Amino acid sequence: MAQATAANAERKVWSGGRSPFNVSYGKMMMWFFLLSDAFTFGSFLISYGTTRFFSAVWPDPNKVFHAFPFMGEANLPLLFVSLMTFILIMSSVTMVLAVHAGHYGDRKGVIKWLLFTIIGGICFLSCQAWEWTHLSHQGAWWGSFTDINTAKETFEHFFNSKTIDNPAFKTGAGLQATHDFYNYFFTITGFHGGHVLSGVVFLIIALINTVNGTYDKRGHYEMIEKIGLYWHFVDLVWVFVFTCFYLL
Amino acid sequence: MSQLNNESSTQHLYEGDQSALYSGLMNHHFGHDLKSEGSKKQVGRIWKVFWFLLAITIAEVIVGMFFSHSMPKALVATFFLGLTLLKAGYIVSVFMHLGDELKNFMIAVLIPLVLFIWFIIAFLYDGGFWLDMNNTSPNRNNTTQVIESHS
Repeated sequence: MAQATAANAERKVWSGGRSPFNVSYGKMMMWFFLLSDAFTFGSFLISYGTTRFFSAVWPDPNKVFHAFPFMGEANLPLLFVSLMTFILIMSSVTMVLAVHAGHYGDRKGVIKWLLFTIIGGICFLSCQAWEWTHLSHQGAWWGSFTDINTAKETFEHFFNSKTIDNPAFKTGAGLQATHDFYNYFFTITGFHGGHVLSGVVFLIIALINTVNGTYDKRGHYEMIEKIGLYWHFVDLVWVFVFTCFYLL
Repeated sequence: MSQLNNESSTQHLYEGDQSALYSGLMNHHFGHDLKSEGSKKQVGRIWKVFWFLLAITIAEVIVGMFFSHSMPKALVATFFLGLTLLKAGYIVSVFMHLGDELKNFMIAVLIPLVLFIWFIIAFLYDGGFWLDMNNTSPNRNNTTQVIESHS
């Protein structure tokens, strides 16, 4: 008897008329898209790790990333990227507060928090633009540091002194490592920045819809939830990029 | 079974607006008071997680700036990767609300990520193997001898 009841309940869950996972189709597909995107970023970061394991020498992040806007030649390792991380975490909080306001159908709250999130996203992109410009002024770009006749002086400041002063240091290996490092850096932070950029576009569209009352007419703010998932994922990826490129 | 699927009362749910399929799911607390006890509790949890993430990041940056160069490599890697996974866990479970979903949905999303364990081990091992081969192969003339840099 109990078995029959259980079987009946089982069939009801999967026989239509309701969502077995208790999530809407759109939200579930957003989760599975993010899962696939996690594998894309994962592949990037793992191939970065493989190249690093393969290389005899590797640039020191404290030497590469030590500049700060308007501070000239001051040596401030990791400070600027910490600011970028802070901006992204902050925008994640404002995003989740927008989602929360949406749960309660509070249109004004959603508008306020979405605006803050958009500002955060634009600040992050500006920071990234500055960092890329700064690095390209140092001669770094995709496909840079390939000429075998490049003097050691043009890239030795990317390595720490322990590596560069070692008599076993080979200019060719250093050149190759610098080249690989920057190719991965621009590809991965560029792909992440592309996600932030499209996220900002989605947020702006959602903001316009909210102002127009589209979600009030629908009776739910689920679109904010789905965009929120995407935005948090972008923050999540940055947590890993930050660790792999700047800390390890 | 077939009887159930052909029922017009179910059929209409799959055509047009699907929100009726998830009745009460998408609108959450729509129209309820944002200043209610439950709402305040949730907002408090969000800010608590924010301070926690900020504290972890500051700790990571301080270690990265001053200490990681004099620490053993394996310890540095474990420290940073452990804290990164901790941060990721909080973002996914609280900010992305995965912790509030049904358990079977959580499993459906998280299980495929297990592949990363094999993925990381295989590829990093391969990278290390190639470096070792470059160092020991007589044809390579030891061009890429490992230099310890502790970073």
